[in-house]
Amino acid sequence: MRKGLIIVGVVVLVFLVAFISQYNSLVTLETNVDARWAQVENQLQRRADLIPNLVNTVKGYASHEERVFSEIAAARSRLLAAGDPGARMEANNSLDAALGRLLAIAESYPELKADASFIRLQDELAGTENRIAVERMRYNESVETWNRAIRRFPTVIFAGLLGKGARPYFQAAEGAREVPQVQF
Amino acid sequence: MQKAFHRRFLIVILLLLATASCFAALPRPVGYVNDFANVIGRDHRQQMEDVATSLKEEHGVELAVVTIRTAAPLTPKDYATQLFNEWGIGGPEDSGLLILLSVDDREIQVEVGYGLEGVLPDGKVGAILDQAVVPHLAKGEYGQGLLAGAKVFKGELAGEHYELGRREDDWLVAFIIFILIAVIVTYLYRRQEPKGPGGTVHRPRPVRVPRFPHGGGGGFGGFGGGRSGGGGAGRKF
Repeated sequence: MRKGLIIVGVVVLVFLVAFISQYNSLVTLETNVDARWAQVENQLQRRADLIPNLVNTVKGYASHEERVFSEIAAARSRLLAAGDPGARMEANNSLDAALGRLLAIAESYPELKADASFIRLQDELAGTENRIAVERMRYNESVETWNRAIRRFPTVIFAGLLGKGARPYFQAAEGAREVPQVQF
Repeated sequence: MQKAFHRRFLIVILLLLATASCFAALPRPVGYVNDFANVIGRDHRQQMEDVATSLKEEHGVELAVVTIRTAAPLTPKDYATQLFNEWGIGGPEDSGLLILLSVDDREIQVEVGYGLEGVLPDGKVGAILDQAVVPHLAKGEYGQGLLAGAKVFKGELAGEHYELGRREDDWLVAFIIFILIAVIVTYLYRRQEPKGPGGTVHRPRPVRVPRFPHGGGGGFGGFGGGRSGGGGAGRKF
């Protein structure tokens, strides 16, 4: 009788210790994913802050390109309104597309292209795009680690008990990033 | 027994190093100026080394100038970001600056560490490239262009100062803690020593003094572990 109790006690203890260590490692990984996402958000916000200035500068030279301006404004406010990561990613991709069109327009205005503040804003924008790309890559790496961890045995059991699911990857929109051009 | 263990340990280390070098096709730094493409004259190189040395001593900023033939298969920007973080340019405050010239891509990229983003926003970096660097590069005066850029960046950093080399402090703290623990453990051991005759004599192990991670004595001692997140600007020429 007592022997049985001891055995049960040991089993419970082993389970408890395993649970604690699993739980802690899951918390570490999840915190990492959240922190990376916060970095992505930072950069998305930074770009959203840049856009009004950029649009105003372009307006000074190409005021009649109304359609693109309103597209950008709409995409930007969608991005700022979007709550969860999934919606933000989607809004961000449509903003990418609208921005691409704006910069394409700028190509046909030589005076705009030579404007010092436009050049500066374009540098800021390009730098922010790079930052987003870097933070997105780091976020995706942390998501990969997380998703792999919660699918593995025995973590999969604990993750199920705690109700932890897979996190979404942040995929870039098609053609959103400049494809490196190969020149021969 | 111990010898076999040591050998096994060595093999593991070598294997790890081998896999690490397979992963990263990035070169190792040879100094502040890394002219892998061989396009900088000796004179310009020396002046750039001087600029970098004074940047480090006066402002706590680590500057790396790198020339390569091509960044392929990466874009020069991605190459710069990876190289920056691989080398760890800049100290604990991420005060690093990388100027990467990719000769055959005809592109220059400046990567700014997190700590310098406030002083050197992308727009300013782009303007500096346009005004001071690209005109030289377009004429093929690579050494001249890079040196001019390094000087302008140094001017922009006037009045700034960042902390470098927290590593040594960490090392010192770790060493003190290590000594403290060693003293306490020896003390406790002593007290528990059997008092009866014929007991084994407990000989305290000789304390091995760990060495500094990088040797002193001047010269290039590696970068300080700084990070960047893709900030900076680039130009084709």
